[in-house]
Order: sequence, then C-alpha cells, then structure tokens
Amino acid sequence: MSKFYRYLNEPEGIKTATNHESDERLQVSRRGFLIGAAGAGFTLAFFRTGFSFAQPEDVVKEGSFEPTIWYQIEPDGRIIVNIAEAEMGQHVGTALARIVADELEADWSMVELNHVDSDPKWGLMVTGGSWSVWENFTPLSQAGAAGRMALIEEGARLLGVKPDQCEARNSRVLAGNQSISFGDIVSRGNLSRTYTAEDLKQMPIKPATQRRLIGRESRALDIPDKTDGASRYGLDAKVEGMVYGRPLIPPTRYGSTINNIDDSDAKSVKGYQQTIVLDDPTDTVPGWAVVIADSFHAANKAANKIRVDWAAGDTADVSEQDILDHGVKLIESPDKGSIMFPDDGVDEAFTDAAEIFEQDYITHTVLHVQMEPVNALAYEKDGVWEIHTGNQWQSLIIPVLAKALGVNEDKVVMRTYMLGGGFGRRLNGDYAVPAALASQKLGKPVKLVFTREDDIRFDSPRSASYQRMRMAFDRNGNPVGMEHHATAGWPTEVMAPFFMPKGANDVPYDPFSIQGAAHWYSTGPHRVRAISNDLANATFRPGWLRSVGSGWINFALESFMDEAARHVGKDPIEFRLSLLKAEGKNAGEAPNSVGGASRQANVLKRVKELSGWGEELPKDTGLGVATSYGQERNMPTWTACVARVHVNRQTGHVKLEKLTLVTDAGTVVHPDGARAQVEGAALWGASMALHEGTHYEKGEPKAKNLDAYTPMRIRDVPEMELEFIDSKEVPVGLGEPATTVTGPAIANAIHSAIGVRIREIPITPEAVRNALNA
Amino acid sequence: MFKKIFGAVVALGILALAIFLLIAWESSINPISPPGPDAFSKEQIKRGEVLAGLGNCETCHTTDPAKPLAGGRAMPTPFGTLYSTNITPDPDKGIGQWSEEAFSRAMREGVSRSGSHLFPAFPYTHFTKLSDDDISDLYAYVMSRQAIAAEPPENTLEFPYNIRLLLAGWKLLFFDEGRFEPDADKGDVWNRGAYIAEGAGHCSACHTPRNALGAEDSGKAWEGAIINNWYAPALNANNRTPAGWTEKEAYEYLRHGGSPFHGVAVGSMSDVVHDGLKYAPDSDLRALAVWLSDLAQAPGEQQAHDSSATAIRTAQQLQNPSTMMGEGERLFAHACAACHYNEPNNPNTLRPDMALNSAISAPTPVNLIRVTLNGVSLKEGIPEAMMPGFGQALSDRQIASLLAYLRSTHTDLPAWTDLEQQVRNQRP
Amino acid sequence: MATEFELNGQPVTVDIENDTPLLWALRDDLDLTGTKYGCGIGMCGACTVLVNGRAIRSCITPVEAVSGASITTIEGLHPDGQHPLQKAWVETQTPQCGYCQSGQIMQAAAMLKDFPEPTDAQINQAMGGNLCRCMAYVRIREAIKLAAQEMKEARSTKEQETGAATNE
Repeated sequence: MSKFYRYLNEPEGIKTATNHESDERLQVSRRGFLIGAAGAGFTLAFFRTGFSFAQPEDVVKEGSFEPTIWYQIEPDGRIIVNIAEAEMGQHVGTALARIVADELEADWSMVELNHVDSDPKWGLMVTGGSWSVWENFTPLSQAGAAGRMALIEEGARLLGVKPDQCEARNSRVLAGNQSISFGDIVSRGNLSRTYTAEDLKQMPIKPATQRRLIGRESRALDIPDKTDGASRYGLDAKVEGMVYGRPLIPPTRYGSTINNIDDSDAKSVKGYQQTIVLDDPTDTVPGWAVVIADSFHAANKAANKIRVDWAAGDTADVSEQDILDHGVKLIESPDKGSIMFPDDGVDEAFTDAAEIFEQDYITHTVLHVQMEPVNALAYEKDGVWEIHTGNQWQSLIIPVLAKALGVNEDKVVMRTYMLGGGFGRRLNGDYAVPAALASQKLGKPVKLVFTREDDIRFDSPRSASYQRMRMAFDRNGNPVGMEHHATAGWPTEVMAPFFMPKGANDVPYDPFSIQGAAHWYSTGPHRVRAISNDLANATFRPGWLRSVGSGWINFALESFMDEAARHVGKDPIEFRLSLLKAEGKNAGEAPNSVGGASRQANVLKRVKELSGWGEELPKDTGLGVATSYGQERNMPTWTACVARVHVNRQTGHVKLEKLTLVTDAGTVVHPDGARAQVEGAALWGASMALHEGTHYEKGEPKAKNLDAYTPMRIRDVPEMELEFIDSKEVPVGLGEPATTVTGPAIANAIHSAIGVRIREIPITPEAVRNALNA
Repeated sequence: MFKKIFGAVVALGILALAIFLLIAWESSINPISPPGPDAFSKEQIKRGEVLAGLGNCETCHTTDPAKPLAGGRAMPTPFGTLYSTNITPDPDKGIGQWSEEAFSRAMREGVSRSGSHLFPAFPYTHFTKLSDDDISDLYAYVMSRQAIAAEPPENTLEFPYNIRLLLAGWKLLFFDEGRFEPDADKGDVWNRGAYIAEGAGHCSACHTPRNALGAEDSGKAWEGAIINNWYAPALNANNRTPAGWTEKEAYEYLRHGGSPFHGVAVGSMSDVVHDGLKYAPDSDLRALAVWLSDLAQAPGEQQAHDSSATAIRTAQQLQNPSTMMGEGERLFAHACAACHYNEPNNPNTLRPDMALNSAISAPTPVNLIRVTLNGVSLKEGIPEAMMPGFGQALSDRQIASLLAYLRSTHTDLPAWTDLEQQVRNQRP
Repeated sequence: MATEFELNGQPVTVDIENDTPLLWALRDDLDLTGTKYGCGIGMCGACTVLVNGRAIRSCITPVEAVSGASITTIEGLHPDGQHPLQKAWVETQTPQCGYCQSGQIMQAAAMLKDFPEPTDAQINQAMGGNLCRCMAYVRIREAIKLAAQEMKEARSTKEQETGAATNE
C-alpha cells in the first residue's frame, strides 16, 4: 500500500525531504496493538488511526483495525492469519503468516490463512511490486511478539507461575515441567489488552539465531489445494440465477462506437438470450456489448455468429512500427519528457568528452497471458454490488465500479479469489466493469467470461519501448557522463496519474516505467529522461507487467554497459566492477540499502566465480552477464546473472543452455519460496527475450491466442544454478528482479558467442541471421 | 450405294444389339416365401455371420444402426449417387422373396432376382469367388436377420449410367465370373488369406484405383486409391510406411484397429475392423496377415522394427526446439507431441507415431487432413482411445503448415501441394 | 440431448448441447471446477482430463464424443488427493499460482503410464503441451521424477509381496 506513497515522497534516485508523517508504512509501526475477544477466540490486530484508545472488543466487533495484519487464535489452537494481499503464486500469505508465527512461537501446522474480501474501511488494497514482505516484516514481527507476550502472561497466570519463568514454543507456554497450550489459554484465560506504539517498540523481537520458521523450509499453505482442484479462482465463482456473458470487444481500446448489431444468426443458438450494449460513464469499456446466454458455450457460440458494425476509434490502424517511430521522434525532441533527478554537469561532460558512445535499444510488446483469462461475476444483493473476481488492486477499481454503477463506493465489495496468474494484469481491474454494467442493465447476476482472444485483445500489455543510451568517456576510456532516454506507454499515467511524482524539471513521470535506470554505477553526471509515448497510451492501456519498466530499462542499460565495456576494450564484468564503487550517492544507507554498490559488486563477483567466466567454451557458445539492483534504490535486490548460449549460425536459433543467478535479497524469509520466485522470474525474463512478444497491427496485438503467442515451455528451460547471499539485512522483494537480468545477459552472451549484437527483444532467429549476414 | 451401306450398318447394328440383348438379358427367378430363421442351423448362421463380417456387408447396407442391413446408404460415384439396397428378409422392401439360387446369382453374377443387372458398387466381381458353402452360409445369415420394411432412396445416376442393361456391356469388359483358384505355389494359410481378401473381403475394391468406367484398374492393382473421400493406402510394395506390413503388424492392425508401426484405422477401414472383422476367428486374420505381408513384400520383424526406429529418430532429430521457428513445428510440439511422441525403439500403438503413419506417406493428405480436423472417435482406431478434432482450434493455414512440417520432417517424400486449399475443401 | 459417461467412477448424465466442450460440461454443469480454461484451442493443457485413462484436452472435445467413456478429472485422480504426483507436487512445492497445475498433473499421470521412468527428453515432449505461465517448470520436472520414483518403488514392493512379476 505504501509503495505509491513512497514514490510520491521519495521517488527513485532523488533524495528529497520526506514527510514521514504521510508514510502509511511507517504509521503502521507507530500504531498501537490490541487483543480483543472475538467469539470464542481472540483477535490480535493493530489499531487504525483514530481508534487507538477504543475498547479492544469494540474494535474487533467493528473490524475497524488495520486490515493487512491481523490474526485470530481459536480455542482449538488454530491460528488464522488474515491476508488482504492477492495470492497469485508468490505464496504471500504463507510468507506473512510465517513472520507472525515465528515471533508468536506458533505450531506451523496449526496456522491457517484466510483471504479477506475488500472493505472500504480497510483503505488501500493492492498487491504488486514484490514489496509485501519487505513492507510488513517489522510490524508483523511486532504483532507476533505482542501475541506471544500476552499468551505468556496469561499462560503464566493459569499455570500459577511468573511470566519470566515461562517461554513459548510450538503453540505452548512452558514453565519448567508444566505447560499449557495456546488453545487452552484462549479458552480459559482473558487475553484482552492493548499496547501502545511505545509498548510495541519495546517488544522483544527474537534475534535471527532463534528464528524457527523464518529462513527455514516450511511448506506454503496454499499449495495442497492447488494439487487437487480445490482452490477457487475467479473463473470458478458461481451464484444462483446467474447468466453467462461473453464480451464483444470493439476494434480499438478507445473511441469506438456501435452503429448496429445483427444477431439474427445467433438466434438459432440454443440458450442464447440477447446482446446488450453497455453504456459506460467511466469510459473503461467504450463501444462494448455483451452476449448473454444460459451457458458460456451458448454465449461463445452466439458471439461468433453476431455481426457488429463499429465506427472504430482513431487508433484502428496503429502498428508497432508507428509506436516505435513515435518513440524516436519523442526522444529526438529535447523538450519532451521528465528529467528523473537533477543532472547537473551532464551536458558539460558530453561537451568535454574525449569520446561519446551511443546506442539505441528496442523492446517489443509483451502480453500478460496469465493462465486464467480475466473474468468477473457481478450482482447486486441487498443494495450492495458484489464483484467476484481475482484482483491485485481493489482500491483502484472500486471507485471506477462505483462510478460506472452510479453508487457510493461503500456499496461495492470485491470478493476474493485465488488469481490464476497476476503478473500485474490484475492490478488493472477494468475487466470487472463490463460485468457490473451488464448485470445492472439486466437486473441479474452476470458471469462475464473472456475467451483467451478476448483477454488478449483487452490486455494491458507491456508497451513497446525505444531507448537511447549515451556514454561520455575521458581520454583513458573511463566513463565521465551518461544519458538514458526512455520512451514507452506509461501504465501509471493512464490508470493512476495521482501516483506520478515530478521530476527535476517539474514534469511528472511514471516511476514504474523508468525504474531500474537510477543505477549504482559511478559514471559521472547522469541524466535519465523518461518520456511517455502518447501514441501507445492512446492505442492500448499500457500495463504493469512483472517488473514493469525495469524489464525494458535494464535490457537497454545492461546491454549498453556490455557494449561500452567492449568499446573501451575491457572485460564486461571488470568494467562494471570498476564502476560499482559504493561512494557518494552509491554508498547505500540504513536500513534498506546498507552497503550500496558494494553489494551489487559482490553478487557480480560471485556470479563470475560460479559461472566459469573466462573459461574456454565450445564453438558458437558464449557467456553474457547482466546485473541489477531490482526496481528501487531504497528497496534494492542485488542480482547478477550469467547466461550461457549456443547459437546455430545457419538457423539463427539461440539455445539458452544455462543461467547462473546470484541474489542478495537481505534476510530470506522462506528460502524455498525465494528460489521458486527467482526461478520463475528468471525464466520469465528469458521467455521475453527468446520466446514471446508480439507486435501491434491494426490497433491490436497480432498474436491473439497461445497458438501464436508462445511463452517458454518446459523443453526450453535451461540448466539453472541459483545462489542467495547469506545476509541478515532487511528482507526485500524477489518476485521481479531476476526478470530484468536474463534478457540482457542473453543478448550479451550472443555477442560473446558469435560476435553480433542484438539490440531488440524478442531476439528472433531471423534477427540473428540478419545480424550475421549484415 | 449409300443406301446399301447404310442398310448394312443398320443391320449390323441391329444384329449387335440383338446379340448384346441376348447376352444382357437375364431371366427372373421365381419368388419364394421368406424361409425364416428356423430354416437354418445355428452353426450355419454363425458361419454366415463371420463371412458377412469379412465382407463387411453391414457397413454399406446400413444407415440407421437400429435398422441393420436395411440399406439406404449413399455412395457417391463419378456417375451419380447410388443407394445401397435393403438386404433384410423383408418380402417387399428387402430380399425375403429371394431363393438361395437368386441370392447366389446376385453374389456371383451381379443379377438381381428380377433379372436386372446390379451396379458393381455391389462387389460381385469379388463375391463371385466365394465357394458354394460360403454362399449358402451367407444366405442363411442374411435370411435369418430381422426383416425391416424400409425403402432406400432412388439412385440418382446420370444418363446413360442409369440404364442397367448397359451393365451387361460393362461386365463383358470388366467382369470374370468364377470361383477362387488357389495358388499351388503358396501354402494353405496364404491361400486362405487370398481367398478372404479377393473374395468376401473385396479389399481391392478400395485399395485399387478404378478406371473411367468405375472398374478396378488391374494394371494398378493394390496401388492405393481415394474412396469415399478417404485414401485407401497401397497394399503392395509401393506402400511407403517405414515398417511395411509384417505379419505381426498386419494381424495387430486387423484384430485391434491399430498397430505400433502404422497407427490406427480410421474412416471406412475402422468400420471394416470394428464392425466386420470382429466376428472373424484369429486364424482368418492371421491368414489375411500372411497374404498381405507377402503382397506388400514386407521385411522381417527385426528389420521393420529397425526401420521404424530409424524413421522416428530421424524425424525427432529434425525437430528444432524453438518456439520462434516454423509454425508447423511449434504447433506439433504444443498440440500434438504430448500424445504422439514415442521412444524410437518402442513406438506405442496408443501413441500413433507420425513418422510411421500411412497418412503421412500417402500421396494425398486427405486422411491426415480429415483426422486433424475431425479427430478420431472412441469407436474408431484403437477402441477407448480418442483424439479430439482441431477443426475449430486451428485455421486452414495452421493445419497446412503443421502437415507440411510433418511431411517434410517425417518422410523423404515430395511435399503435398495446395495444402491450405485442400484443408479448406475438407471443412464441413 | 443427454450424454452419459462415467465421471471419477460415478455414472453421470448431462443434458446439454452435444457440441458443448467437455470442459464446460465439467465446470458449469457438473460443478467440477478443478479443470481449467486457458486457451480454448488445445494449446495450453490447462483443461487436460483423462478419457479412458488417456490425456485429452477437454476444451476442444465435444461432450458427445465421450459418450460412454470413463472420465477422470483432478478431483478424481485419487480419493484423498494423495496420488504420488499430487504428493510430489506438494513435496517439491511446485504450484505457484496453481491455475495450470490440474492440467499438468493429469498430463503427467497419463505420461507415466506410457513412460514410467521418464527421461528429460520424454518429459519435454509429453509435457510440451502444458504451459505454466509462472514458469514453475524446474519443479514440475522434479515432481514428476519424484512421483515416478515413488511409483516404481510401490511397484517393486508389490512385486515382492505377490512374489511374481506384475504385468505393467
């Protein structure tokens, strides 16, 4: 939740005066804590602002406590941890519960998760950006410790001993030979109490050496249900009396209107009911209609027989090349865009340079194609609109839904489901709007199912990007200045412009679309210019897609660092190490970036050792390196990757043979989960570099289903060697950083293997052949 | 002078016509009352059932499974559409009034009880080879079926093909009446197989191309042909499957509807196996297998195994494991390989390997197109296993590129032409 | 138009249009939602079920095509969700978002019948139709091998107990 606020107050790369009073994350840790009876058990939660001195029982009854962090202990000993974050494969609930349970000294087998529905009183609900663990670590630890202290106090009383004679272990309070279970304490004792913020700060948080769950292997709680079909995803939602709908999506994202709908052929489809035209005051789904039928099959079949005559919007002919050409034009207009942070001295550095090195990089459109196509079930019940769907950012879409339906926001509730893949697609809940509108118009529950084609046409893709990198060198081949100009469609500008900070030239920028550019290399004065590609923004709704901007930013940055190294005749790793000096702004600071650039240098050195860098390799085989600090300077995940590829010179086929990744993510709360996240993220990056990607053609993605859009399959998976730096520093996110290093590492490895440079992803066999023949 | 010549020509013509009519004319055989099932022994009926199965009578003479042998199945020919007749013992609509003599004449001479010539879509050119006992047993079987009063539709043959009398001329040209004559150079088992194949089984009716007048082209015997929009593969040495029809393969295929080195029976051949041959004893199928492997000049079992393994391995080595490569290869990897991949040394009948399949090495892609579009039902091929059709899932172009990929990597045969158009033509 | 078949060992009848894909019959008419929709064109494997023990993409299989067949879905693979594959999937902590995993497990179950001790190449080919967007492939492979090992041990135990070679 605080991520966006943090960006407002402490944007990447610049150190501004931060108003910590408005930082909600810090506020959480300044709140008091309460334990109040709830039914037969007790609820343990943080006070919300303004409720700090209320009676715990009243707070529990009203549910007016801080929502992301509360848990219950039941008389049977079950500990139910409530999770407001969306579960989409990162096992976030498990990670959060583990932190609480460790401090609580709970028996892990007694811990359960409860994914909660949205509620306006809970404020912002959003899951994204790999920040959940990082943000909640301290408050969750305190919440666990407070619970432990209360249980020890009550347990001691019930056992007739003093609290300081007791300790808690495995859901029991122990005193010499005596012991009592948490469940019995809950049944027989009274845990009700409150703690002030000061009390909380004094809570005895366990030293790392005494941790029993954090950093150890323990199983994710959501997994068993995902092996027997029991997990419930949005597509599994059902309600009595519902009808099925399939959308009829217009040829352009915006500005299309319906002239006529001819459903005469559809009338022969058994179960077809009608086609309704949506009237959307929020302009989320302009020019849409929905086919209504008794079953999805009937709706789908009917939809294929319905002819809609649309007056298409302005972008009906836009192509990928148009978007890229527009990007070049923007980059070549010096007055465009936002200067991310002060760049004093850059112009002089280039003017005085002995040599200037410059290259351009392109990344193409990437689709989410999360496995579960978007869908939503919507209906009104007792004056409240229920939206059943998997979503990552309820708080963003609820106001839109309320406006679309013409009701107050407190009349819209989002029911929580597992997400069949998020990757950022479900940050944008636009797909719920047509379901709600159709239900309202029809007066019945509507289950709106998007086919895969519908899902892709309505995706919020990762925009194509065009970037220009420049480096100024002195006479000795040392970098003395750097420029990075990046243009792409900006999701945050389109969907959440209020979260855009202002750059040094007072122009707002999308922090997510430039993240990764504020690197830790000491290269002299540095200019980062972020430019919104307004043609992309008009053609589609750009999306946040796993690692967002750093996905394309780091491709350009790390390809360019490689090229720059070779340009001055240096080894790519040595060149980078020579620039990771941990001085000045790159020295790092407590608590999050302790060590600064030296930790990035460290992962780079380690990956060099592990990968056999510099050793003899077979013909047409090469190693390439790339590194990253993740997405944010104040939540750095230090990552380094070496890719080994073999290139077939005849076909141009690039075989990714091995990925070696070293990650320093501070304290690793759940090592196996961390490995899973890095495995998945690294392969995502490789997939985007070698296997997937599409082009815009006539205003739509060219690939419309999985026959043509081809993410990596099991046969493409390279050998992988992962290592985590053993660290006790603050834990940081892991879901995304590895995504950003594999692409440039592969491009760099191709250069090592066959001596040609590919500056465009995806890297197609054709591009390799062309480069070889050039 | 001119008149004389003209007169002579006319006279000759009349004479020729008269001779033709003499040959063409067949007498009617007196009707009888249907003998009823009790007129035959159970054993005889049982033997007749096997023969009817070997001849697969039911497939052509049935449209509604609830009305077996009641006829009405459309048989499109280049000359128009024929409809199979009702051969149940119904006295009015079927052949209930036919004596065994009439039945025998129809089987062996292609003449109905009333004396009219039968179209050779009814394969009397083969049934003429049947022994007296077999004709008798078949008669017993047919006449002991349930009588069904169903009238098949009228044939819609174009002029002059609708003149039955002309069939006498056709017979003069293309029909040799006569019983099967064993080949003394071959063994009893081979001769049993040949008797079934050439007689009741009428295999060449589908597997031999036909000439312009619809007769089997004896010069191209067993070369393979298109029939009912399916390709019936060559059964002689020109069959290009890597393994060839060894006895073991042929028996497996005919008994179970599929074999590891060839794949599964679909379309009409599936009917032959599952509706017809199911009654036949193993000995008959083994005899057919012996005859077929001789006809096909099959290699030994070990060589068949080795050739298959080589073919599979070669095809697999040509796979280029990249999603960014050709569409056909990608589609195969993502939509087909899960079921069709095999270990080269151990192909599994339930995983028909495309490197071994007749449909891949056929001169026409029709079988492969139809199976790709429509799948293989539970009843076809190896019963209980099925393949869904990809007709709704893939475009004409995609199926064309998939098939072109298979042809180029799984055989060394020339590419099929006009694939996309051919796919389009096979869509409903 | 009623179609009858056996579903997870129980006879069922669905009275729906014959051309309804089996996937939607299972999910919407028979309330077994463990089988997932991913692409509708047989390219992702999320909808994989067993028809007479063999893997089939239910999204492109009309319900009438399975008339009389025996269907097994993820819910029926094992009565307690403890098939060796399911246990291996938990043991290796394979699922991330989990959406594709029903299909992955059903495809793996079918594969292990044909390839009881699968090599990497066999896994690549037989599992190549199953997309995992979370890219949990490393663990999927690990889990398949783990389950294959357990099933092999179970077979040899059974052989020892019966004192005779089984016919698998």
